[in-house]
Amino acid sequence: MTTTLDTHFRTVENLIYEWARHIDEDHVEAITDLMLEDGRYTVKSRFNHDRDLPMAVIDSHSAAQLRDRIKSMRVANIYEPHHYRHILSGIQILTEEAGVLHVRSNYLVIRTMALDGDMKIFSTGQCQDQIVLTPDGPKFKRRLFLYDSRIIETLLVIPI
Amino acid sequence: MQPISSPNDEAVIHGPSPRKSAAKHTWPTEGYTRAPYWVYTDPDIYAQEQTKIFRSKTWNYVGLEAEVPEVGSFKTTYIGEQSVILTRAEDYSLHVVVNRCAHRGNMLCRDAFGKVKKLYCVYHAWNYNLKGDLTHAAFSHGIRGEGGLPKDFQLSEHGLHKLRVASFCGLVFATFSDDVAPLEEWLGDVAQGIRRVLHKPLKVLGYDTQRIQANWKTYHENPRDSYHANILHTFYGTFGLSRQSQESGMTLDESGRHVYFYTKAGTEKKSEDFDNTSSTLRSVNDDIKLEDPSILKWRDEFGDGVSVQVLTTYPSFVLHQIANSLATRQLIPRGVGESDLVWTYFGFVDDDEVTTQARLVQGNLAGSAGMISVEDAAVCEMMQRAMADGQSGESFIEMGGKTLVSGGNTKLSERAIRNFWHNYRIDMDLP
Repeated sequence: MTTTLDTHFRTVENLIYEWARHIDEDHVEAITDLMLEDGRYTVKSRFNHDRDLPMAVIDSHSAAQLRDRIKSMRVANIYEPHHYRHILSGIQILTEEAGVLHVRSNYLVIRTMALDGDMKIFSTGQCQDQIVLTPDGPKFKRRLFLYDSRIIETLLVIPI
Repeated sequence: MQPISSPNDEAVIHGPSPRKSAAKHTWPTEGYTRAPYWVYTDPDIYAQEQTKIFRSKTWNYVGLEAEVPEVGSFKTTYIGEQSVILTRAEDYSLHVVVNRCAHRGNMLCRDAFGKVKKLYCVYHAWNYNLKGDLTHAAFSHGIRGEGGLPKDFQLSEHGLHKLRVASFCGLVFATFSDDVAPLEEWLGDVAQGIRRVLHKPLKVLGYDTQRIQANWKTYHENPRDSYHANILHTFYGTFGLSRQSQESGMTLDESGRHVYFYTKAGTEKKSEDFDNTSSTLRSVNDDIKLEDPSILKWRDEFGDGVSVQVLTTYPSFVLHQIANSLATRQLIPRGVGESDLVWTYFGFVDDDEVTTQARLVQGNLAGSAGMISVEDAAVCEMMQRAMADGQSGESFIEMGGKTLVSGGNTKLSERAIRNFWHNYRIDMDLP
């Protein structure tokens, strides 16, 4: 078992890094190619999660819904220009069940404001991912970002 | 002090000028159609607001009855900067007390929510019942005849600071004031906007808190401002949830403190004014198409065609219905230039799974990551930055006219903002 998980580790690690790199390099649209069409992307507070409350600030039930959200960010929403830097660590494949790898990792996102250069820890927490290996490469079946603080600094418009 | 004679007039010392320090600021002569920027930036004004608004004659939202469902349930929250505890006592009555031990001021509850038999201070083990009465103080009689509290000490005189509490349609409000009118009377005509939405028992779906680097009033004005809705918020107009051409209106209570706006989807009235103006607005962009518009599907659950209702009560509460997404918003000031906005999303106890899922999916539209309204916090922060030190400038609030009634019930008006500043100046004693 351990050997199988070891075999997949580089693939999984690379997929997680790819997601972050696309966002940090402002190719945000590209993250939707890293998930299954019927995959799900959720950003939820640990506060709600710990209390079994279902509400999540972002909950895209398909790649199409995430593309819509990114389109809204590009053409509709108004916000002060800023960018992210993802710092990722602690990637662990916990189990493989029916071809789905259950993966945990930690994330830290630093937000830098374009106008005045202010930098701040924007979000940190845990990713709970389900990853499948398809003929087109590894894809997220499920990405759940659980952010540790119950607050969000100003707004969350660029996906993390 | 006598003037000192000097050949140089500029060096003459006449003593301190008391007028200069007392009248630090003057409100613009135009009155409530202007808001001077010092009112958002001055720490002294901010400090006075805590006393004259939040701890004075206002009802402040503290939570939902559904958040403290059982005997012993508690919630900690804030009124202004003051931490308070909402509890439900053995007789199911609701109580709000200052979250501070009556002995030496230590904070009693450090959890957001919980269930307890009593309120207990960890510092010296003073115990209070769920209504805030002191029931026991450790070693109050001393040991072996030494120490202990004075013989005239009365438990009944050292309870927690209790607030007046009232609930209305499942919303719980509290006030530090003995004089303010009963809650429903205070809400006036705006109560009907609450009754319309909160007509049966509620179920909490979750929380979202936004920390905004701006004075609380920049946000308080925002949901009173129907003028911006379809201009700033592109998403709304583009996808037909709300356009200025739809049937809409507003209700203001008699005092002008509270207001709600509504819009009915699918009621566009063709008008030349709209076509001419909208062609120049950024927000009407027919090129934007959603791949998956199911997120915008909504059900007319209240049977009156209203697709959006945003209701604000003075000074810190909002109730929204955006399609089938329902939430309260509580505004908590955290210093002159920082505020928290706490969104509590809810549905009804008798919602089926499909309805709950629809509410959750539409949760994507509002809040800190809301595709419709993510702009609001950004605008508050940009306003605060543009005010700089607040020593110059004032906002211009004449959309719809210059009086408290002008503008009528149209959404293209800043009447509700003028009414806010009118009440604010009375409460703050800022002539």
